[in-house]
Amino acid sequence: MIDIRRVCVVALRVVRQLKRDRRTIGLITFAPIVLMMLFGYALSGEMSGIQLGIVDLGGHPALRSHLEGVKDFTVLHLGSESDAERLVSDGRLNGAVVISPDEIQLLLDATSPQIASAIRGAALAGARSEVLGSGAPIVERYVYGYDMEMTDTIGPAILGLVVFFFTFINAAVAFVRERSQGTLEKFMVSPLSSTEIVSGYILGFSLFTLLQSTTTLLVVIFVFGVPLKGSPLLLLSIVILLGAGALALGTFFSNFARSEFQVVQFIPMVVIPQIILSGVWWPIQSIPDFVRPVSYILPLTYATDALRAVMLKGSTLMDVLYPDVTALIVFFTLSFASAILVLHREVT
Amino acid sequence: MEAVDARDLVKTFRGLRALDGLTVRIPEGVTYCLLGPNGSGKTTFIRAIVGLLRLDGGDLYVLGEHVSSIGSLYHRIGYMTQHRALYPDLTVQENMEFFAGLYGIDGQRRKRRIAELLEMVELSDHRDRLAGALSGGMYQRLSLACTLIHEPELLLLDEPTVGVDPALRQGFWMYFDQLASEGKTVIITTHLMDEAGRCRIVGYMRAGRMAAEGSPEEILRLAGLKPHLELLLEDPERDASLLRSEGYDVEVSGGVVRIRIDRHAQIKEIMEIITPLDIRLREPSLEEAFLTLSGAA
Repeated sequence: MIDIRRVCVVALRVVRQLKRDRRTIGLITFAPIVLMMLFGYALSGEMSGIQLGIVDLGGHPALRSHLEGVKDFTVLHLGSESDAERLVSDGRLNGAVVISPDEIQLLLDATSPQIASAIRGAALAGARSEVLGSGAPIVERYVYGYDMEMTDTIGPAILGLVVFFFTFINAAVAFVRERSQGTLEKFMVSPLSSTEIVSGYILGFSLFTLLQSTTTLLVVIFVFGVPLKGSPLLLLSIVILLGAGALALGTFFSNFARSEFQVVQFIPMVVIPQIILSGVWWPIQSIPDFVRPVSYILPLTYATDALRAVMLKGSTLMDVLYPDVTALIVFFTLSFASAILVLHREVT
Repeated sequence: MEAVDARDLVKTFRGLRALDGLTVRIPEGVTYCLLGPNGSGKTTFIRAIVGLLRLDGGDLYVLGEHVSSIGSLYHRIGYMTQHRALYPDLTVQENMEFFAGLYGIDGQRRKRRIAELLEMVELSDHRDRLAGALSGGMYQRLSLACTLIHEPELLLLDEPTVGVDPALRQGFWMYFDQLASEGKTVIITTHLMDEAGRCRIVGYMRAGRMAAEGSPEEILRLAGLKPHLELLLEDPERDASLLRSEGYDVEVSGGVVRIRIDRHAQIKEIMEIITPLDIRLREPSLEEAFLTLSGAA
């Protein structure tokens, strides 16, 4: 049985310790802002596996065959513009092209400027291959209301990235310390259970995650002008869920480190793949096919997707429940169980 | 009832027998000292008692319960590791509050216990200092105070007085004796022989077994050590041969003559043979007893 008072005792201790560690607080507060400034503007990449819908209302056969021939696109033919719009807004298509004799309309997913620009480029190239004079105007329409900047999509993603990164590292370091200073062994000879230890840490760290995410969110909204269309409560809940999983994962990994220095060595193994492969900076579609399966087992992929959906599309809990939130719950459960298992292994 | 009842304990680490058929009974209400050279299995035994390792063989009962259900006894056990197990980035008071909280001690009881213990370890004036800023000895004292916070019935202390000054160490021992007189059991490992001599029972471990056990007096008797006289003489060589001719076991080194004696009454007899410039009676120390025992074992 979990004794909630003991969990709170551990949480209070974690808060007291972190409160005294001003450098870490500074770092977790300002790092996301610095990251946004550094990376937020200049990234793009080659795309593949873009799901494109085509609604053919007549005319422009050359454009149509050009789009069908682009090897990075998977084309789905649709009957009406409203079908296309619905599928794009559900996230099942990355974009659609509505071809009619007097107009070519591009329905673009505003949450991913890189994908939008790949579709735009293909459409322009296709239109140029038309017989001279038969060209019709190309009209762009964004499904989520407005043309987004790179910072818009990176803002919510950075929220998740930074929480994952710092919680993972801080938790791993904290547990390496608990081991080296002998406190973990002392816990094992006290009424405190492994579940209570990890729960206490999660509770304590969550308060800081909340502080960090709120600060980042305010900067993202008011400094970078990114709109918050969904519920801030839902947004923060997703961040906390991700943070709790990262904390448990850090606890688990701390078992394989004997010093703080060795914890730093986990960064290339655990953190960097998440940064590169989880769609924070560039869409998953731009990641080569043979690596892409890895993206789908990384928790940050789902957190990034959910945070973007809530912030930019105004998605509700039901919208992001599957697969994103479900994946995060699975990630948390597995990490938590592994962490508890590892703490039990203190008994030799 | 025994506080600890160990029968034929076996624990092997990668083919190495850390405990090799260890049998010990530690009664309640005593101070018990666990002695032995490095690697003799003292810490392994302590860790087995608190359930931190799984035994490969034997039976172990702690406070009347089998060690497999040790979890239900943790609120009755206090364990101080060699690591000292504190949070350097919390204050003295915060460390105490944290450990009190783990045992569900709060409100007035917590306040009273913390005040009492800080008084005992002479840290009352330092309660707002960060533990990391304390001297080695103070850190040690705080660690002991945190171990005692829940008034455990069975205390396991791994070298508790290292770095503590002699006056305060004296105070610690008076406190341990007081705990024992209240019926609590204090098990201590130490390398300091004078401390071992203060315990009611001393257990000397060697190669994972109990080589000798008893009160300090019994241990000395077991080692078969005798007191000896140290004599400063005008002509050591002449007097030494004189004493040898009388059948005494004599040794001369650095101008000092050492004579092993069986009975204190022999001193008078020796004085009738020679007239020393100075004389000193040396009783055997516990340290010598253990060196003898470990050489013999």
